[in-house]
Amino acid sequence: MGGGAGPLPVAVEDLVLDARIRIEDLVARDGLEELCLSFQALFGIPVRIYSTEGALLADAAGEHELCAYVNTTTGGRKACEATVSSVKARDPGEAGDVTHPCFTGAAYRVLGLEYDGRRIGRLVMGPFLPANVTDPPASLLGVDPGVAKDRAQALLAKMPRAKAETVTRMATHLKAALDLILFAGHKAHVTSTMHLASVRESYRQLEDKTAKLQEAFDRLKELDRLKSAFLATVSHELRTPLTSIIGYSEMLVEGLAGEMKAEQAEFVKTIHEKGQQLLSLISGLLDLGKLESGTMRMVMGTVRIDEVLDEVASTLRPTARKKDVRIEVEAPADLPDLYGDAERLRQVFLNLVENGIKFTPPGGSVTLRARSGQGHDGGSQDEEGLALLAPARTNLEVRVSDTGIGIPARERAKVFDAFYQVDSSSTREYGGTGLGLSIVKRLVVAHSGTVRIEDNRPRGTVFVVSLPQQGPAAVAEEPRLS
Amino acid sequence: MQINFGGREIALKLVYYGPALSGKTTNLRSLHHLTTEGSRGRLMTLETKDDRTLFFDMLPLTLRAETERGAPPGMTLRIKIFTVPGQVLHASTRRLVLQGADGVVFVADSQISETEHNAASFLDLRQNLKELGLSVKQLPIVIQFNKRDLDKVRSDEEIDVLARRGREPVFKASAVAGPGVLETFFGLLYLTWTKLDRDHQLAKMLGIGSSELLPMAARQLGVAAAVPTLLASCVGGNLDRHLQVLA
Repeated sequence: MGGGAGPLPVAVEDLVLDARIRIEDLVARDGLEELCLSFQALFGIPVRIYSTEGALLADAAGEHELCAYVNTTTGGRKACEATVSSVKARDPGEAGDVTHPCFTGAAYRVLGLEYDGRRIGRLVMGPFLPANVTDPPASLLGVDPGVAKDRAQALLAKMPRAKAETVTRMATHLKAALDLILFAGHKAHVTSTMHLASVRESYRQLEDKTAKLQEAFDRLKELDRLKSAFLATVSHELRTPLTSIIGYSEMLVEGLAGEMKAEQAEFVKTIHEKGQQLLSLISGLLDLGKLESGTMRMVMGTVRIDEVLDEVASTLRPTARKKDVRIEVEAPADLPDLYGDAERLRQVFLNLVENGIKFTPPGGSVTLRARSGQGHDGGSQDEEGLALLAPARTNLEVRVSDTGIGIPARERAKVFDAFYQVDSSSTREYGGTGLGLSIVKRLVVAHSGTVRIEDNRPRGTVFVVSLPQQGPAAVAEEPRLS
Repeated sequence: MQINFGGREIALKLVYYGPALSGKTTNLRSLHHLTTEGSRGRLMTLETKDDRTLFFDMLPLTLRAETERGAPPGMTLRIKIFTVPGQVLHASTRRLVLQGADGVVFVADSQISETEHNAASFLDLRQNLKELGLSVKQLPIVIQFNKRDLDKVRSDEEIDVLARRGREPVFKASAVAGPGVLETFFGLLYLTWTKLDRDHQLAKMLGIGSSELLPMAARQLGVAAAVPTLLASCVGGNLDRHLQVLA
């Protein structure tokens, strides 16, 4: 994680440090009511739970027969309402436990519910009949003239009776059960909040990293573009003075400035040769730069491949002859036309044949063989759906085979990289810039073709260039660069 | 620290930090075990099925300022003690738990083989504090060398020498059995209380004397040992010297 990140998106401390815990947030009300109902069924005493704000959260208290009877009288109804509302509002105080009497002789217990050292609600138990009450008190009989003593006595006897300490034990039990439920709810609440917070924090971290990577990537892309532009510019600027060097040394060799001694002529010839070498290196760089930056202009048109191959062969025959290497061309005249840039295709085969000559020992040969056919051999082996796509293509395939030193299988993918040579000592032994094949690859790709390497038995290498044979519609107008 | 005047509450957050499996949760369990009900709440642990801390553990302590009989109830000091998950992968959770901490116990594993993990975890603490806008220089921190009961641990003499050279007070503990757990906690409570009292006049707010909190905490938590005895087990480091260097 990089330093100086932005503020954390989540403030968990509110949750875990000073959260106002509310019963209704931690426990489902239905569940709370079920708990109270089962408690009432077990002990016979009605139970209600109120929130700190006084909202009734759970109610397991049906109306007792005595209460129903009293409520049929005007005075009784009034007294009952007054009792109920004062019980509802009764604060259980610091101790958290008070008994609130009812005019009927029954009583209510109001208890504070605590969680984590804080009051979070109230538990109201009752009405129940304290153990010492046997007869209806005067407050009940006098509440309304309609209250009959016999009836009141009979109904009072039906009221659940409990000693104070029994009620205390029941309350303790209920509070313990409630506390456990609240703790479980609190824990689940904290866990889920914490989980969300962690996920958000991890996400923030990832976003931060992604932004940094994107920035680095953009910078690298820009650097790459600058490199290509630089290469193109420098190559161009180098070529201009070189043209003069080559031109003037050529004139000297031809004696346009007077006769030279044999040794002088030899020196100037070397200057001329090395100048040519430098020029081809620079041209290569320039082409590569253009191909990489996508600024290479292709002049597309109809190309006769047999003509291209013949030209290449005749251009390079003098060089080959010096090395005692034969160049052979096998291109049937009835080959279909290609759609491409004749000049660039010529460059492709010039490079390949030059390469072949370079690595073929005296007495060997370089062969150019062209044929047209369904593209069973076309496409790279890991192309998706090759079995379906290849038969649908018609390719023109040119095989450039030599009888040279060959290229080990594991090196074959790399030889198309710029400046790569299988053995760095070969640069010294065989010369060359290491640019030729990478230019070949890019030019072939720009023609929507492929190039691959095979063994030539018993010795040597075959470069297989496969070019699509379709008409103009099927070939991209613009060069396509990988 | 959070102050809620309406609710008459002050809340402190103490965090047990340290490498994975150094005994942070065990410290809290022991603390829970060594204190009495009433002032301490339930220990909340959020663990994976292999007993590793997933998010944090939390032990709430509630101390009430003791007032004269008949006087209105005093302020409540709520102390929440947290552990962080030690495993490296829970970095974001560690940072979340560390948020708003008033003091940190760094639980180191005494085993020599854990030396690098201790160091890496401390650097992690430093980095996380920095990202939260805090610094190890400003925050009360005590170091606990835990697992003194094991073999192949750094020797007492070595720890003493290290403790004398370092700025943080150092306690030795065996959290599984209990020794050192209360000492470490009271050491951190002392540092945290003194710093917060100095910066925010906390004692005045609570309505107690500055020197009364620790004995009060010990009383309410049912800790029998005298506070000076607990603090005296701090090795090498001098708690008061540490307070002076705290920014």
